[in-house]
Amino acid sequence: MTARKRTSSAVTNPENPPPATKEHKPTVASGEDFRLAPPKLGVIFVISSLLCSLYLYLLCFHYNVDDELKRPILINAGLSLVGFFVTLKLIPVAARYVLRRNMFGFDINKRGTPQGEVKVPESLGIVVGIVFLIVAIIFQFFNFTEDSLWLVEYNAALASICFMILLGFVDDVLDVPWRVKLLLPSFATLPLLMAYAGHTTIVIPKPLVSYVGLEILDLGRIYKLYMALLAVFCTNSINIHAGLNGLEIGQTVVIAAAILIHNVMQIGASVDTEIRQAHAFSIYLTQPLMATSLAMLAFNWYPSAVFVGDTYTVFAGMTMAVVGILGHFSETLLIFFLPQVLNFLLSLPQLTGIVKCPRHRLPKFDPATGLLTGTKDGTLVNVYLRIFGRKSEKSLCIHLLVFQALACAFCFLLRHFLAGWYK
Amino acid sequence: WLVEYNAALASICFMILLGFVDDVLDVPWRVKLVLPSFATLPLLMAYAGHTTIVIPKPLVAYVGLEVLDLGRIYKLYMGLLAVFCTNSINIHAGLNGLEIGQTVVTAAAILIHNVMQIGSSTDPEYHQAHAFSIYLTQPLMATSLALLAFNWCPSSVFVGDTYTVFAGMTMAVVGILGHFSETLLIFFLPQVLNFLLSLPQLAGIVKCPRHRLPRFDPATGLLTGTKDGTLVNVYLRLFGPRSEKSLCIHLLAFQALACAFCFLLRHFLAGWYK
Repeated sequence: MTARKRTSSAVTNPENPPPATKEHKPTVASGEDFRLAPPKLGVIFVISSLLCSLYLYLLCFHYNVDDELKRPILINAGLSLVGFFVTLKLIPVAARYVLRRNMFGFDINKRGTPQGEVKVPESLGIVVGIVFLIVAIIFQFFNFTEDSLWLVEYNAALASICFMILLGFVDDVLDVPWRVKLLLPSFATLPLLMAYAGHTTIVIPKPLVSYVGLEILDLGRIYKLYMALLAVFCTNSINIHAGLNGLEIGQTVVIAAAILIHNVMQIGASVDTEIRQAHAFSIYLTQPLMATSLAMLAFNWYPSAVFVGDTYTVFAGMTMAVVGILGHFSETLLIFFLPQVLNFLLSLPQLTGIVKCPRHRLPKFDPATGLLTGTKDGTLVNVYLRIFGRKSEKSLCIHLLVFQALACAFCFLLRHFLAGWYK
Repeated sequence: WLVEYNAALASICFMILLGFVDDVLDVPWRVKLVLPSFATLPLLMAYAGHTTIVIPKPLVAYVGLEVLDLGRIYKLYMGLLAVFCTNSINIHAGLNGLEIGQTVVTAAAILIHNVMQIGSSTDPEYHQAHAFSIYLTQPLMATSLALLAFNWCPSSVFVGDTYTVFAGMTMAVVGILGHFSETLLIFFLPQVLNFLLSLPQLAGIVKCPRHRLPRFDPATGLLTGTKDGTLVNVYLRLFGPRSEKSLCIHLLAFQALACAFCFLLRHFLAGWYK
């Protein structure tokens, strides 16, 4: 049910030539001659500016952030920038290795055009994951002293995210059944749940206090269950809201930008050191995510020169779940994830088997016009196309990313208006 | 100890990831040397113990100190130890069951050492450190034995780099966080020997072929040692051609002897050394 951008035949029969009826054009030569299309740095520059400028303005100018807090954040930003360039350099190298091992797919949304014959390297999310981990590990030396309490949460976060990257990569290589894919992330979240030393209480919305009888309800273990489910949801929901060039990374960086803005707003508006630490912690992990993802997007933006694989989507989902949980803003995160939630709800009938679920639920591509048409499948991509008419892949992706940004903006508005009424 | 436990998990998990990526993508060996250093960093951050070494009594007169604080150099040593452990098991391999075999023998020695230290000590810090080591070594032992059931001669599955680097890292982790890294190094005596024998070829001074396995004769079914510098080959040249299974058992017995030798050494040097 993941909208994988490959036909299964390409994966299971790497040695056999395609059926004789189809003319086999030697598009990409052997590994030695392979040259990846150059990164689309112009697009990345535009996207980065759009996403990061508000955050940087708030961090450096608008809010008077404590120097002691600002320094590690800026150090982290610097390291993330290095991570950006390292990822940029490593992806072409890794693409060669990946192709050599026949880990590639064909772009289904270009089937019928010459672009649809090109072997696109898969699972390049592994590069993003490894660079992210290295940046996150090195950053430890700049911030935490050896007996800091945050070190527990940081290492638990690293362990959880690392385990998720491992599972994602194993899935990309071995193609594990989906039931396993649902179950294993629960184990990946366990270090997180152990390390979560915060309160497990929820504040009852003021209007409901009279009905419930309490102002604060301690959920205890149920709260931990909620956190685990949130993590499993995040890791899988990005995976199913995919299938267009640049959509997976695009939604991630939009949400990451929203997370960063939320974090810096909370740091600026709060005097409680615990809260500031929590949001700073979230920044320390989201900045590297943002930077490495943008580097990958340079290659993955339409038309994709590399595919991200499950490795990236589960890594991104897990990282955002981790920062949401350990930064204590998981409800906010869920509203940022509104499009993903919508997509999940739309997909439910097919996921549960009530409606027939095909291998791919992508829109139909017409090679003559180059436009995508929505099918009857229950995904946000298809529903959007059915409501707003046919679109090209690039245009549709931009529309969906704008929708993501609008959902995040809506969340900020919601928080602003409900602030007094809700809590 | 939650910090150290999570740091251990993060390090080991990262190592498994790198091992698996290496098995899938076949990364160049220079990368294989550098990346484990990153995997050990969480460990070094979490190591909240002393970085001092106790000068052996006979040398105190020369050095002038009883206890020497190495500080960062000690951390460097720990990092190098981890890199060494992860790679050394990898190069002392090539026979059915050898990789897992050496791991479980060393793990058994670690467990015995841990329980001996717990039994003979009264310091609770000390107890915790060795208990911590047991918590990670027991799962290593159990899961490895299960794999050995399939990997023992004749192998129906191979372990890949994924296993060897994972096993090496786990043992380095317990040695570092359990504060018995010097003891661990002596357990690793055959691996150290193998590494020293391999140095000329690894350094490029002597020509290094893709595989440095002994030569197999299909007619007799015996392995004969080549001129390559590995413990496997040297053993064959010293003791004559053997079948693969017999050679593996001999090398594992050698591993066990090295561990036993370590226990003896600790016993006799206890008063003299510290």
